[in-house]
Amino acid sequence: MLTHHEVLSTLEMLRNEHLDVRTVTLGISLLDCASDEPARFIDRAISKIGAVGHNLVKVCDEVAIRYGIPIVNKRIAVSPIAVAACSCGPARMVEVARALDRAANEVGIDFIGGFSALVEKGFTKGDLALIEAIPEALAATEHVCSSINVASTRAGINMDAVYLMGKTISRAAELTRDRDGIGCAKLCVFANIPQDIPFMAGAFLGVGEPDSVINVGVSGPGVVKKALERAREVNPGLDLGQISEIIKHTAFKVTKVGELIGRRVADGLGVPFGVADLSLAPTPNVGDSVGEIFQSLGLASIGVPGSTAALALLNDAVKKGGAFASSYVGGLSGAFIPVSEDLNIAEAARCGLLSLEKLEALTSVCSVGLDMVALAGDTSAETLAAIIADEMAIGVINKKTTAARLIPVPGKKAGDKARFGGLLGEATIIPVRGTGSSAGFISLGGRIPAPIHSLNN
Amino acid sequence: MSKVIVSVVGHDRPGIIAAVSRALFLNGCNIEDISQSILQTEFAGVFIASLPKSLKIFELNSRLLEALDSMGLSVSLREMETSGIWGAPPSEPFVITTMGPDRPGLVAGITELLARFGVNISNLKAVFRGGDNPHENTMIYEVDIPVAVDQNCFREALYKRGGELGLDVSLQHREIFEAIHRV
Repeated sequence: MLTHHEVLSTLEMLRNEHLDVRTVTLGISLLDCASDEPARFIDRAISKIGAVGHNLVKVCDEVAIRYGIPIVNKRIAVSPIAVAACSCGPARMVEVARALDRAANEVGIDFIGGFSALVEKGFTKGDLALIEAIPEALAATEHVCSSINVASTRAGINMDAVYLMGKTISRAAELTRDRDGIGCAKLCVFANIPQDIPFMAGAFLGVGEPDSVINVGVSGPGVVKKALERAREVNPGLDLGQISEIIKHTAFKVTKVGELIGRRVADGLGVPFGVADLSLAPTPNVGDSVGEIFQSLGLASIGVPGSTAALALLNDAVKKGGAFASSYVGGLSGAFIPVSEDLNIAEAARCGLLSLEKLEALTSVCSVGLDMVALAGDTSAETLAAIIADEMAIGVINKKTTAARLIPVPGKKAGDKARFGGLLGEATIIPVRGTGSSAGFISLGGRIPAPIHSLNN
Repeated sequence: MSKVIVSVVGHDRPGIIAAVSRALFLNGCNIEDISQSILQTEFAGVFIASLPKSLKIFELNSRLLEALDSMGLSVSLREMETSGIWGAPPSEPFVITTMGPDRPGLVAGITELLARFGVNISNLKAVFRGGDNPHENTMIYEVDIPVAVDQNCFREALYKRGGELGLDVSLQHREIFEAIHRV
C-alpha cells in the first residue's frame, strides 16, 4: 500500500520540479562495420544503426507514458568513428558524418554522438582525418556530435592535439558563422573521457563496451532546488551537513527513476542496461537550473566567493545519493555548469559575477568543465588551445574527467549575446583576460608527461 | 472449519481492537486477518477469523454485540463463503491519481469506468475537503489492470472521463512510486 505522501510528492516532482530522464542513449558498436572500402563501411553502419535503433523512440515513448516520467531526449552513441572508419580520409569522414546525420533523422533522434577520436598519446591516420573533417562535418550536419580525448591521467596531455583542437574549433566556428558558431556547440575536447557517457556532445560508445547498450542520463536540478527550499522553510536553521543529507536523498530518488526507466527501455529493446549517469543537467528553463541551487544555498549567484565550496558539496552529495541508488553508475556523474544551457548561470556570466577564471575553478570540483562558454570571435586558436590545456590539466592532475566546449562566436565580442536555440540556449560572450598571450607556450607542442601517482598534494 | 467476517464501525478511540479481539479470543476464534482504517473521526475494522465447530455465527454475533455495545460500536458478521469467489486475471499494478475541485459524482464517475474495463481497485484513498488545495481534493486508486485490457484505450478513456469531471488525472505504473520512495 502506497502512502498519500509517496504518491503526491512524486506527482509534485513531475509537475512542478521538472523531474525527468534527461536522455536515454543507445550505444551501438560500429566496429563490426569496418571496411577498407569507405562506401561499404557507410552502408553497414547505416544499416546497423537502423536495425538496432529503429525502435528506440517508440520504446522510450511507451515507457515514458507507462511510468509517467518524461524522457526528454533519445539519442544514439556509436563507436569512435576514427577507429571504426580509420581507413577514411578527411573527405570520406565528412561523408560518414552526413550518413550518421541521415541515420539519426531516420530513427527520429536529436543527436548522434561518436564522431570521435582518442588521441591522448598520439594520432593515427584515422584520428587526423577525422579531426580535419570536424569543421565541415559539424557545419554540414544537424545531429552529429563530436568529441576528442586529448589527455588522460595515465598518458598526460597531448599538446599537439590541444593546439590542433584550438585550430579546429576556430574553423568550426567560422564555417557556422551565420549561426553564431553553433558547430562548436557540438564539439567537446576531453581529458579522461568515460566510455559510457549518455550526454551530448561527449557521448560515444567505448571500445570496451558491449555491441549495444542503454545508458541513461538523469536530471533533477529543479527537484534538488525545491527539496532544499522546502526543507529550509520548515527548518531555517539547517546546517550544511543537513543540507547535504537532503541533496543525497533527492539524488537517490532521481537516480532510482533513471535506472528504472533505463532498464525498462533496455528490456523493450532487448539490449543490456549499462549505467545511470548521475548528472544534474540543467535546461534553459526557470526552475530547471543548477545555478538556482547556489541561491538556495544562500549565495547571491553562482560565481561569487563560496561558489566552489557550494558546488563541491552539491556534487559530492549527488554522487553519494546516486551511488546508493544504483550499482551501475558511470558517464560523467556530477553537476553540469553549461553556461548557455542554464538561464541562471548565463545571467551570472552576463552580469560579470561569473568569470572564465571562476568557471575554471568550479570545474575542479564538478563534472565536465568549461561547457558552452561563448567567447569573442577573434579569440585566437592559440588562446583557445591554452584555455583547453588549462582545463585538461585540472582533469589529468585530479584524476577526473574535464572537458571544454568553447564557442568563439564569429563577428561578436565580449558582452554581445550568442544565440544557439533550443536546449543549447543563449549566452553573453565572456571576456578572456590576457587573450592572445599564450602562443609561445602552445606552439612548443609535444606531450605533457603523465603526473606522478604519489606525493598527492 | 468455517470462517467469519466481522465488520466493526464506530467513533474511533483507544481500545476498539482490544475489545473485538478479546471477545473473539474468549469465544475460541482464531484471527487470520485484520485491516482497520480511520476516516475523519470514524473507525472501521474488518476481521477474518476461524470459528470453533461448537460455535454458531448467530451466537458469536450476540456475544460480540454484548461486548461492544457499551462502546457504541456497530458489528456485523457474515460467514465467509468458499464458492463464487472472483478469480483475478493476470494484471499489472498501476496508480490512478486525481486532483480537482470537489463535486458530487467524482468517485462514481471514475469507478464506473474502472468497472467497465474490469480494472480492480486494490486500495483507495480519497479525500474531499473543498477549497483550492489540490492535496485536499484527491483520489488515489491502486488498481490492477488486466493484461488483456488495451492500456492505451483505457488510458484515453480515463483521461477523457477525468476531463469531463474537471479532474486532473494521472495513470502511472506502481513501480515508479516504489522506486522513488523505497530502499
